[in-house]
Amino acid sequence: MPSHAGAPPSRRRFLALSAGGAVAGAAALSGCAMQVSSGVSGSGETVTLMINPDDLTPELIKQAQKDLGVKIRTVKYDITKLIAMLTNGNPPDLVRGIGAVDAAYFAARDVAEELDPYFARSSILRLDDLDPVNDLWRYDGRTQGKGPRYGMAKDFSQDSMYWYNTALFDKTGVDYPSETEPVTYEEWLDNAERLVQRKNGQTTVFGGSYNGLGKAILLTSLTAAAGGNLFTDDFSQVDFSSPEARKALGWYIDYCRVRVGPSIIDPDPNTWDGPTYQANRMAMSNCGYWLGGLINTAPKLAEVSRLAPAPVFEGGPRISTCQGGTGLWMPRKARNKDAAWRVFEWFFGEAPAKARASGGWGIPTLKSLRSLMPAQEEHQKQVLKVQEAELKHFSVASFTPYAKWEGLESIFNQIAPAAMRGDMSVDTLARRLNSAMNEQLKRGKEQVG
Amino acid sequence: MTVGQISSAQGGTDTAKAADRPAAANRPRISMNARRQRAFYMFTSPWIIGFLLLTIAPMAYALWLSFTTFDGISPHWRYVGLDNYRELLSDSVTWDALGRTGLFAITSVPLSIIGGLGLAVLVNRPLKARGLFRTLLYLPAVVPPVGAGIAFKQLFDTNSGATNGALNIFGFDALGWLADPYARYVLLMVVLWGAGNIMIISLAGLQDVPRELHEAARIDGASAWRTFRSITVPLLSPVLLFQTVTGVIASVQTIMPLLLSADATTAGVTAIPQSNYQYMMHVFAQYFAVGRYGYASALLWVLFVLILVATGLIFRFSSGVVFYNVDPEAKK
Repeated sequence: MPSHAGAPPSRRRFLALSAGGAVAGAAALSGCAMQVSSGVSGSGETVTLMINPDDLTPELIKQAQKDLGVKIRTVKYDITKLIAMLTNGNPPDLVRGIGAVDAAYFAARDVAEELDPYFARSSILRLDDLDPVNDLWRYDGRTQGKGPRYGMAKDFSQDSMYWYNTALFDKTGVDYPSETEPVTYEEWLDNAERLVQRKNGQTTVFGGSYNGLGKAILLTSLTAAAGGNLFTDDFSQVDFSSPEARKALGWYIDYCRVRVGPSIIDPDPNTWDGPTYQANRMAMSNCGYWLGGLINTAPKLAEVSRLAPAPVFEGGPRISTCQGGTGLWMPRKARNKDAAWRVFEWFFGEAPAKARASGGWGIPTLKSLRSLMPAQEEHQKQVLKVQEAELKHFSVASFTPYAKWEGLESIFNQIAPAAMRGDMSVDTLARRLNSAMNEQLKRGKEQVG
Repeated sequence: MTVGQISSAQGGTDTAKAADRPAAANRPRISMNARRQRAFYMFTSPWIIGFLLLTIAPMAYALWLSFTTFDGISPHWRYVGLDNYRELLSDSVTWDALGRTGLFAITSVPLSIIGGLGLAVLVNRPLKARGLFRTLLYLPAVVPPVGAGIAFKQLFDTNSGATNGALNIFGFDALGWLADPYARYVLLMVVLWGAGNIMIISLAGLQDVPRELHEAARIDGASAWRTFRSITVPLLSPVLLFQTVTGVIASVQTIMPLLLSADATTAGVTAIPQSNYQYMMHVFAQYFAVGRYGYASALLWVLFVLILVATGLIFRFSSGVVFYNVDPEAKK
């Protein structure tokens, strides 16, 4: 029946029109959403950086826009937003990432751009000036550390080293660790038990914190320090039952069980060591050189803070791993790759890189910037001396490309607390971790192909 | 303009009016009912378009994802049919999380309804400063959940929280409130702390109970408890049913454990104490920590169906005990 002009639509027609409107609206929204890197006529291009707010100051951005003639737009790093932007086909031009665990993951999924041609013609980021830590951002389709470069680290630390507070050592009569010879992990734990201060069931001073940058990469590093590999040669499986991985896992579970520092079963409300260490409530903190950036801002704390070499396992090799190597990568579908590269060069080789190097927030990733590391004060000289000696033992613990580090960590977080409370043996924990993590890795390998 | 011109102009206008008349007469007349319908659709269309765009479309997309191995990043995902749903049936972590969520719902919903109703009864009495009490008791309900989470984390922190400070004063050792086995009790306390919402709705219901019925019962010698049980509760039963349904839906979807966690990051959320690792936490972890968008979408769809079933069951079993002042069948 033809509808009368002016008559109200039928219910069915109205719903159909609404659905049509919704689809049209969705299409319009999709077109409008996340418009990045569109050319800006007359004032250069726009480059979108997905970074943390403290990665770049507004002043540096303003200066860069002036110097490079490129408009820089920043978006706060958020994995859900990144996925939405990648899915939408409008990714940021440069994205923050942790080289040790993200580089191979993104490269294996074909979403990261190979940067070798850009490096080859760069006069700012010369290949012979790159610190070996940047190899964390290389991946040859099988192994991290080889093959094309997919990103670069902005700075780095050897994340198994630790800071200690001499005042708290003095108070409990514990000897300072050597500046040149590492303690064993067992000695470190023994010291932490002597340094911890408790009252009425409350911990007033943590003896030591040892949690690495994340449990998955920490356990990878600890296993390497015990002389083994957590992953099989093709990175498709973990093996916590090997003597070395079992030793590493057992040590970490012991650390949590004796409750000398923050852990899953004793969470620190500050979520990281910085504020607790700054408040003189932590005698040892497993943070690498980068924590110096925070310590240098508090002169009283700096006076009593020292950096110590990474511990070793009895009979294990002396290695000192980098668990982070945080930097930037360029999505394959970035719109303004050439402009993004100009920003990339500036971020890693010019003003921001110099500011990071002189602030003590990590070791510069260009050898030519090493001379800017802070060394004016006595304590800074001590820290630099220890750090320079430690660089001889620099090592990388390769990570699997088949799983997100958070995914492997989620399995650990679900299963391990029982072992930390003494309700499960370490051998049972190792078996359960193998089973659950290998299933996740198998799915990832199928996905990557 | 001369008189003749004016007259001519007027004549022209009249002619135009006359010519318009038949067109206006031909225009279909809109009945009042049709006008009402049109107004109804005009006023509801923003909501309906929003509903289609922001609810139905994402749900349909999530349903499609639940049949795939999509991980949010890789272009190499594939269609796997019902595999994600099959896996879900044998995933012990999912079942454990679902069990904890169910236990939380059957504990927290009755406790908050009883607590809210109790508070409503108290502030419905002729007290001095009744308005002040009502405001104070309702205040927690207007605190944003994130603020409540931060406040409770500070309050129950093992080493610096006021709760352990108070325990120490009375000679007790500090407890690890935010870890197992105590974390579940803190979660329950946060939920009960916000019972002001239930109090307000119950209070409105209480004020609708006819006073004459209470007076008649009193004259007949009924005790206060008997009056409450036999008059107040039956008359409040539709309100209680509403609170039960919305309470169950809210409790199975709660994200409060996340807000109470020490580290509310993608990886940190998976470190939530086991007793608080509820279904939505598992969904969150599967989406963002593990990156299994397909599996997590299947989890969400199963939850959606379970909520529908639970709501249906609540309506089915409440039909004999909910008393409607107005016959709900009257308009059928």
